[in-house]
Amino acid sequence: MTAPAREALVLRVVDFGESDRIVHLLTPHAGRLAAIAKGARRSVRRFPGTLDVFHHLRVQIAERRRPGGLARLEQARLVGWFPGLRSDATRFALGCFVLELLDRLAPENAHPQDARRLFRFAREALALVERAPADARLRVLLELVALDALGLRPELDDCVRCGGGPPAGFLVAEGGVVCGTCAQRVAGGLLPVRPGTLRALSGALRLPLARLDRLVLAGPLLAEARELVARLARFHIGLELRSDGFLDEILDGPAAGAA
Amino acid sequence: MRSAPPIERLVANLKRLPGIGEKSATRLAFHLLGSAENQVQELADAIARVKKDIVLCEVCFDLTDRSPCEICRAPDRDTATICVVEEPADLAAVEGTGGFKGRYHVLGGALSPIDGIGPEALRIRELEARVAPGEVREVILATNPNAEGDATAHYLADRLRPSGVRLTRIAYGMPLGGDLEYADHVTIGRSLANRSELE
Repeated sequence: MTAPAREALVLRVVDFGESDRIVHLLTPHAGRLAAIAKGARRSVRRFPGTLDVFHHLRVQIAERRRPGGLARLEQARLVGWFPGLRSDATRFALGCFVLELLDRLAPENAHPQDARRLFRFAREALALVERAPADARLRVLLELVALDALGLRPELDDCVRCGGGPPAGFLVAEGGVVCGTCAQRVAGGLLPVRPGTLRALSGALRLPLARLDRLVLAGPLLAEARELVARLARFHIGLELRSDGFLDEILDGPAAGAA
Repeated sequence: MRSAPPIERLVANLKRLPGIGEKSATRLAFHLLGSAENQVQELADAIARVKKDIVLCEVCFDLTDRSPCEICRAPDRDTATICVVEEPADLAAVEGTGGFKGRYHVLGGALSPIDGIGPEALRIRELEARVAPGEVREVILATNPNAEGDATAHYLADRLRPSGVRLTRIAYGMPLGGDLEYADHVTIGRSLANRSELE
């Protein structure tokens, strides 16, 4: 049965067989889902110019015929795109980084409230990448707020063990800061972090996404923040993102600073 | 019903080819069984030789049986213009138009962070080395008009701009035989932006 037309954001497109494509979508009604677009590589009428990453679509999807099977993408119409993400390699890399996080971590069959929240986050994050300075600071802040949107919000203000303060370091395994007293009982793995770094990251979690680029984070604080967020992500996600290496290469490479 | 093991093995191998499913593979296998011995041998030889004899051109990185390839050796091709494409199949498509008389550079893909393909995985340094001596006046960026292809074209433009070479991008627009009613608004918008005078 074909469902009514709904919104979707294209996270990934994979060629399949001679003429089909498998499209990974983020939808505001069901979270992440994969659908097969039959004949998409050949047809110029059913999916014209639509099945590309970053594209915001209205789609019609036929339900899965059997459990575990793929849903079938029947039609797609372009609602919006993020042209600024295609005309700058660093923005493109950051946008793909956001998409990969969502593609690998967003839940399937999500509760509609969570699905709507994630969909709104995805669109706002891509809009931010399109207009804000694309640099190492934006990468760290985006990764942090993406983890938060996906349900991995670190505790950056109060001790995760006793609720007290002030923080003496960040305990990656427990996803938050610990106070001086509790830190004495920690066997290992305590990451020393400056109060300024914690304040900046905590501020990032409170700011509306559209204003994230106003946050100041530079020098040793940025390096510390990068270390904290990267270790948090590695420990709790348990996977290496493929776009991570690309971002390292492009933020430090010959075209860096062109954004 | 089970077939004899040699037939099953052939079907299993044919099924690995793109676009070939169980039914097509079985049909092809029985077609080969019914073919003359010399035809089957010729096909087997052709498959074996294509892997053995084909190499990458040391200049443009197209597939060839002799490096440099025919296009890179041809004295009548314009050495001042390089058309950059993602894959050998794209080169064949441009060459098939018969309208381009310059040389090519095959990147070997496009930037794709989600697939872990970064600048170092593409033949970008080789392109820079070809442009550096100063003989090349124009580089046509003919990567695919999708997000990866566009981002790759802009990345290449950033890398090549210091050389002073003219950088152009293939045009976006309506396909021949297309239908405005079925085109997406981005394509129509770009077609309007890139409109040209009627001659």
